[in-house]
Amino acid sequence: MIPQLVTVRYRRPGGRRLRLYVPVLPVLLVLSPLLLLVVLAGFVACLLFEVSPAAALRSIGKVLRALPGTQIELADGQMAIQVNVR
Amino acid sequence: MNEQRRQVLQMLAEAKITADEAERLIDAIDQDRPEPPVGTVSRPKSRPKYLRVVMMDSSAGEDPSRINIRIPLQFLRAGVRLASLVPPQALTKLNEKLSESAVPIDLTELKPQQLEELIDQLEDVTVDVDDSGSKVQVFCE
Repeated sequence: MIPQLVTVRYRRPGGRRLRLYVPVLPVLLVLSPLLLLVVLAGFVACLLFEVSPAAALRSIGKVLRALPGTQIELADGQMAIQVNVR
Repeated sequence: MNEQRRQVLQMLAEAKITADEAERLIDAIDQDRPEPPVGTVSRPKSRPKYLRVVMMDSSAGEDPSRINIRIPLQFLRAGVRLASLVPPQALTKLNEKLSESAVPIDLTELKPQQLEELIDQLEDVTVDVDDSGSKVQVFCE
């Protein structure tokens, strides 16, 4: 299962907080024309560097599927950022 | 190790009994041991799923700096597989740059299987560094 939701929490030095909930699938759909270009560029790059495009796609798929559960939290003084992938 | 077994091994170490006698004694001790009650069969320990890195530094002032990262081990495995697709010419260039930086590591010698074994063994690794005001912990959970 690819990530469904990415949550970004950001606390600024002034104490103001920002919360961003990014639904991955709708964002991917919106960006699909760009994504198509990226896939084409990746395909050409694979051919140039003699890497199997199928193997590359499989590996990228595995990385995406393994992403849920990732949590990154950085805090420095009054500033903090937290990224959650679900 | 229970006390009786320890005594047998102690006697064997002191050459009071032979290896055969020690084996018979240990077998007898094992037979005397009561069977575990039904329903309390020990389950295999669940494998850890995440690698966690926690760093805290409170030496700078009253607001401590903190880093808390949780990465699925599956993500590391997938990353290793992705890294195995790096073309050989890129690895050669990387090796040259590493040699220039006095890091004599030959990346072409690193095989994905070895890296996967390394990740498998990572499950048992715990790093705990505690200094005055700072703390680093790396473990799997």
